[in-house]
Amino acid sequence: MRKSARPPFTIKTTMNANIYLPDLMEVVQVRQQTADVKSVRIRFRDEERARAFSFRVGQFGIFSAFGAGESPFNLCSSSNWQDFIEFCFRRTGRVTEALWNIDEGDIVGFRGPYGNAYPMDKWRGKNLIFIGGGIAMPPIRCAIWYALENRDQYGQITIVYGSRKVGDLVFQNELDRWAEYDNVRVVTCVDPGGETPDWKGEIGFVPTVVQQADISAENAIALVIGPPIMIQFTLPVLSKIGLGDSDIYTSLENRMKCGVGKCGRCNCGPAYVCKEGPVFTLEQIKRLPKDF
Amino acid sequence: MSEILSSATLRRLVDQWITEGRHVAGPRLVNDRLLYGWLESAGQLTLDGETRPRNSIKDFLFPRHEKLYGYKLGRKRVELTEVAPLVDEQIVIAARPCDAALGPILDRVFNWDYSDATYNRRRELTTIVTLACQSFDAQCFCTSVGSGPDDPRGSDVMLHALDEGILEIRCLTEKGRRLFAGQTEPSALKAQVGAGPEIRFDLGKVGEFLEGGFEDAQWPEMARRCLGCGVCAYTCPTCHCFDIVDEGAGGQGVRARNWDACQFGMFTLHAAGHNPRSQQAQRQRQRIYHKFRIYPQKFGTLLCTGCGNCTRNCPVGLGVQPVLSAISRKMQSNDEL
Ligand code: SF4
Ligand code: FES
Repeated sequence: MRKSARPPFTIKTTMNANIYLPDLMEVVQVRQQTADVKSVRIRFRDEERARAFSFRVGQFGIFSAFGAGESPFNLCSSSNWQDFIEFCFRRTGRVTEALWNIDEGDIVGFRGPYGNAYPMDKWRGKNLIFIGGGIAMPPIRCAIWYALENRDQYGQITIVYGSRKVGDLVFQNELDRWAEYDNVRVVTCVDPGGETPDWKGEIGFVPTVVQQADISAENAIALVIGPPIMIQFTLPVLSKIGLGDSDIYTSLENRMKCGVGKCGRCNCGPAYVCKEGPVFTLEQIKRLPKDF
Repeated sequence: MSEILSSATLRRLVDQWITEGRHVAGPRLVNDRLLYGWLESAGQLTLDGETRPRNSIKDFLFPRHEKLYGYKLGRKRVELTEVAPLVDEQIVIAARPCDAALGPILDRVFNWDYSDATYNRRRELTTIVTLACQSFDAQCFCTSVGSGPDDPRGSDVMLHALDEGILEIRCLTEKGRRLFAGQTEPSALKAQVGAGPEIRFDLGKVGEFLEGGFEDAQWPEMARRCLGCGVCAYTCPTCHCFDIVDEGAGGQGVRARNWDACQFGMFTLHAAGHNPRSQQAQRQRQRIYHKFRIYPQKFGTLLCTGCGNCTRNCPVGLGVQPVLSAISRKMQSNDEL
């Protein structure tokens, strides 16, 4: 029997990059938004990676708190912003608990951008209706800033943002800044009982407020993101004012691990939310089986 | 003409490969149960007995636990370390055809759009030597899913047992040819391949049902006795769902991927509490749809090889075949009405 330390033949192998290996990002700013929500601004440690990086609003990333794990969050900054990206999270589990404790100068992991994006080009020339509930503002915020930074490309912008109580509204300081732009209307609301004595916004649930806001569907698209129940009751209102199913968009927030179509958990029927989503039109969603 | 080799030669080669430092896996008895596992010597290789091992060769291409990279935390510092790439060759010997077929099936998952380097490397370093089946049990249903006892998909070599310790050998790929170069002899003997297990359900009827059957009342009915244990998925050659977790302590550890299963309630639970599949019926339905509709629509083949392990290992006798047989029967009796 022939013995050799090395196999008598070699098999050709290819080594490509480890798709699960994140970039190391430095935390440059942490803002507490509500009692249990924080937004975080991070930048690439590696200059070259920073230069090479780009994304489109609506995409998401997988963020790491090393030692705790990974979680997917939308990239809630505008894609026009240089030097940093932002994400926002609610403290609910192991990873977000670890992220809650990070400070400026700390290191987090990021891989992405993943998924599809809002069709900002296709929306050019249209009136934009943004409707958000609770913690769902961050994935809308990126599109709002993007539209405002390209103000002449879009028509009337209507933003309806509601939460259970005043203290639950995220990016509150930006709501007023958005309202200062030409042709932008911002309607805020809180659930009955959630108001404070000095609350100036509406009181009521998002679907009702949308109904009463006298929004025109003409030449408009709507982006609606929020808790399933809010979406469920807002969609009929939008249909009623005349928006077609292909003009209503949402972003699905399924549980994800890999973000790259492998781990098998994010699918809604045939659609892998991490790859074919997270952005879908109502028309597409109606064609999907009830698996969300 | 065919090529043959004796099982004595095969065993000698297995020992030689092991001595040369290659990792060789194959069916072996562990506590009287046939399981695929790493072989320490050819003596452990079990070529008879139970129809097929209770696990699959998935472990050797997509291990149940795999380190993706290491991390080390310091003050305002994180260091990531790449895991040393696999360099040793792997040979799987006497895989069943329903196991070998997992290669081309998983290749698509791990390479659509994003290429998974760890998986690809393992796959490239692995040679699969398949033993065509001659016996079947009540759970085998390869013939019902368009496969059969000598399906060559994913095999580098196909062996057929002939009489008296002689094997006909067909090298199907370059890898396979290199492995057995100079070790076989020409012969006039030729293996007869049996028909395989009887066809147990009508795949066409199943397809028809799935097209509109997502909300059929049958799902809760069928899933009622499921325990949600995940054994079906773990012992399946093609189930590939995984979790990504950090495992470590004291500021260092590894980020790893571990097998997961769509049968667990936590699998799809959102951070905000909503769960798209909060009931076991929805999870059973997902498993069947993924295998017989979602994956086929994406990649053109079934995500099932008909091995029957799901039912063989299920504590309550569920799994693909009983469910699809029931669906197929129901569709047929509807036709007759
Ligand atoms: S089908 Fe059987 S093996 Fe699969 S999860 Fe249910 S009880 Fe467990
Ligand atoms: S998140 Fe893993 S497949 Fe979509």
